[in-house]
Amino acid sequence: MVDMGKIWKKVIAFLKPTDVSLKTDRRIQFVKTVLITFISLAIFIGVWWELSLLIDTAFLPTPDIVFEAFIDSFGNPDITTGRTMWDNIITSSIRVAWGFLLAFVLAVPLGLMMGFSKTFESFSKPVVEVFRPIAPIAWAPLLIIALGGIVGPIIVIFIGVFFPLLSNIIFGVRSIQPILMDAAKTLGARRRDMFIKVIIPSTVPYIMTGIRIGLGIGWMCVVAAEFLGAVGGGVGQYVQFKTEVNRFDQVFAGLIVFAILGLSTTELSGWVERRVSRRMGLK
Amino acid sequence: MMLTIENLRKSFPLEEGELVAIENFSLEVQKGEFICLLGPSGCGKTTILRIIAGLDTLTSGKIVLDGKSIKGPGSDRGMVFQEFALFPWRTVRKNIEFGMELRNIPAKTRRETSQKLIDLVGLEGFENAHPHELSGGMKQRVGIARALANEPDILLMDEPFGALDAQTRNLMQKELLRIWKETKKTVIFITHSVDEAVFLADRIIVMSERPSHITEIYKIPWERPRDRASMEFANLRKEILAKLEKMVKLD
Repeated sequence: MVDMGKIWKKVIAFLKPTDVSLKTDRRIQFVKTVLITFISLAIFIGVWWELSLLIDTAFLPTPDIVFEAFIDSFGNPDITTGRTMWDNIITSSIRVAWGFLLAFVLAVPLGLMMGFSKTFESFSKPVVEVFRPIAPIAWAPLLIIALGGIVGPIIVIFIGVFFPLLSNIIFGVRSIQPILMDAAKTLGARRRDMFIKVIIPSTVPYIMTGIRIGLGIGWMCVVAAEFLGAVGGGVGQYVQFKTEVNRFDQVFAGLIVFAILGLSTTELSGWVERRVSRRMGLK
Repeated sequence: MMLTIENLRKSFPLEEGELVAIENFSLEVQKGEFICLLGPSGCGKTTILRIIAGLDTLTSGKIVLDGKSIKGPGSDRGMVFQEFALFPWRTVRKNIEFGMELRNIPAKTRRETSQKLIDLVGLEGFENAHPHELSGGMKQRVGIARALANEPDILLMDEPFGALDAQTRNLMQKELLRIWKETKKTVIFITHSVDEAVFLADRIIVMSERPSHITEIYKIPWERPRDRASMEFANLRKEILAKLEKMVKLD
């Protein structure tokens, strides 16, 4: 007879996360990660399934129904809007991209200047600090009425991305080792050289971190903006509309789309961040 | 006289009165001379070096380099740091070329000079490596080459081998002497190792604790490379050590 207890112990021992610094075989590590992720999600879906059967309410459909709705939303255009999930994803993505781009273009120079120049910082800080605590979503109704359903949501996303990006850049400039500045000075660097050749390059990893965090927030802002009257579809609008017509299976399908979009953006920018840091020798 | 330091004084204001770090420090350095500043930690050796480099200001006194009074940092003085202070995002070659870039030297000349320096400090094959890929000794080779690339009159070295293990340290001392001979630079070298100072210096300037001033100057006319196992080496080392110990005990 097979001793299940022993096997169970072995499985657990295998799945225990090992110290990565030990450089165990990369492939084994990968298989482990995939396995653990799979098991974790399987347990989650199992619990979800049991729960929805137990509660038995329309608000929480079983996973199989949600899955069906999810697949269907990509294949067939929606009856009322005529849009597939692809169309919605593209619309939302473009919004996030514009808001992000705008934030990037403004936050990078502003953050570098604020970190570098005490005078510039003391003048801009009060304004920044007043605006920072306002939740980006709080702006949404006003901005959408004032600027319309196309520009409004973009500005909401811009606000969401701007502040974390700015904070990270300022922090990055502050985190420069003073000894690197000393070294540059003894090599003949003036203020301008210092800015271009020392401060900007050593801030790059912090900018990358800001981008990763900012994009995550961008995806949250787009939902709110789309709830509040963005024009031209989007995943947020899809979720809102489906809630209104009691298609909760489709609501959940939309939520899953958001999960995938947010996760892949964060993963992708994390990957770029690591690559850039490694290329620059900043590890 | 190449470098003249006259009555250097450095103090920091406190809530009541002031903290005198360096007092009455005067020194004349000849062209091509190898000077070691030796003293207990916290004696202000580094501060003196930073003032010469132009990174710190003096409270009173005067420093004249080649007839010009020192005001702020400049490429006529090269500095080598204990913590290496290499730019992590730049390769070995790019680190060495940093100062030349600032002086707008054309890329071709930069490349030639950096190659010469890479050969001089023995880093062939590591031109395109980043600092994090190098050992401590190699990092400091880059540090030295980077400082030399500006063709400074004087090399200021702040415990440059302090972060290295004993073996690498001994090797780097020999390497430094070789580089010093080839480039004929004036060197001011800070250390708290008596052994290191006796091995390297033409003159050892022994400094006291705060408020620090010069307590003794040893002139060492011996040939190089010096033999650490020799009687005279051991005797001088013992003598200086005894002096330093007495100073610390007074505390």
